[in-house]
Amino acid sequence: MRSLPLYVLVLWGCSFLVQLVVLVLLLRDGNFRKLPFFTMYTAFNICQVGFLAIVYQINGMSPLTTETLAWVSEDITLVAQALAATEILRIVLKPYQGIWGLSWRLLAGTSSLVIVLVARSTHATWAWAKWFDLNHGYHLTFATALLACLILARYYSIPVPTAYKIILIGFCFYSCTELLINSIFRAVFYNKVPGHQGLWQFSTIFSFVVVLFLWVVALRKPLPVENRQLALTSDAAYQRLSPEINDHLRLLNEKLLRLWKLEARSN
Amino acid sequence: MNPPILLFTGSAAVVLILLAWLLRGPRKIAQRGADPFAEEEFERRHVTYFPQVLRALAGEDLEYLACRGTRGLTRRVRKERRTIVLAYLAFLRMDFLKLWRMARVIAVMSSKVGAAQELERFRLGLVFYVRYELIRFKFQFGFAPIPELGSLSDFVSSLALRLDIAMRELSERAALASRLTSSLDGRHLNTP
Repeated sequence: MRSLPLYVLVLWGCSFLVQLVVLVLLLRDGNFRKLPFFTMYTAFNICQVGFLAIVYQINGMSPLTTETLAWVSEDITLVAQALAATEILRIVLKPYQGIWGLSWRLLAGTSSLVIVLVARSTHATWAWAKWFDLNHGYHLTFATALLACLILARYYSIPVPTAYKIILIGFCFYSCTELLINSIFRAVFYNKVPGHQGLWQFSTIFSFVVVLFLWVVALRKPLPVENRQLALTSDAAYQRLSPEINDHLRLLNEKLLRLWKLEARSN
Repeated sequence: MNPPILLFTGSAAVVLILLAWLLRGPRKIAQRGADPFAEEEFERRHVTYFPQVLRALAGEDLEYLACRGTRGLTRRVRKERRTIVLAYLAFLRMDFLKLWRMARVIAVMSSKVGAAQELERFRLGLVFYVRYELIRFKFQFGFAPIPELGSLSDFVSSLALRLDIAMRELSERAALASRLTSSLDGRHLNTP
């Protein structure tokens, strides 16, 4: 703790205060009932700050133990983050049962693909920096899965309440900036620039503070009550109409192709 | 830069760009997806203009003008008719898009959605877009054969009509379901 530069400590303090504000806003208008996992995630983050402050204060603890404890606490908050994001996606997409079912499959597919990619590209350096790469892999999986769901919502013109949208975008933005900052620092500054550790910590905390401010904006008003009850059609209607439309669209494409070929021949 | 760092940096940059794209222009999307079944929109199908387009594609007029030796006028008429055909193609595209959007609305309203069906439709949309652009480009140099364009138009119109009927059927069912729910609410018969 004492080894951290003053500007990092100041920013860390700011981050702690804004996290408290977010928690208060969640507890205030009963928002925590709508978003229990997000509230838990915020509480975990605050606890992590306290935990790290204690860990860094303990004299005589080996750097390896300190680092391992810090990464373990980080992993716990990351699990809470995944639960919080899934909770919001569920609230937004649940009324659209069919799309929610599709989202689940998309989430599983995207996540598996990214995990395989990450495992393949990092297995050679696995023993060297496992925590670091695990963290990277998680953030990449999380950001792509979240983005896939947001794209799906946009593709189907599903209205996402602004507050939820800001929270989800905050999550995605944080994961991306974390990835970018970590990768750039590791490639460019690591062991090359004096004081790079402090600069790295400042950058990551700063990106998180930006996200926290976004969440304060999102939570300044009570969260919308999601009681949309869509008059969903029967499965039979979709089973009947969807293949029919696809067949027609396919035929239309074939016609276009024939038109193209005939036109090309006539020229 | 080693491969993992390259992968992470590149992916993060791509995700950030896509995120920025998602944030851009939501109003436009909302307007486009507002009501694909608006009566006025649906009534105005390209088929309305089909006789005029057929007329524009007929070669007799141009042959007559060419026989009369007014080359300048022939060129002008040809140019104007080409513009009309291009506009017609654009309407065809609009019809395709309407059907495509309608299919998405059906998916949103459905309680179970098939991933294969949805992916297939997405692929069809992409293919249509590419082909349409190629044909449009080709039309800049000459007219397409009339029978082909005619069958294409008939095809889109019949599909739109059948979907129109199917969607009305769905709306009636949805309205009935909503009426039933509200009447149950009124009698406090809702189960928790």
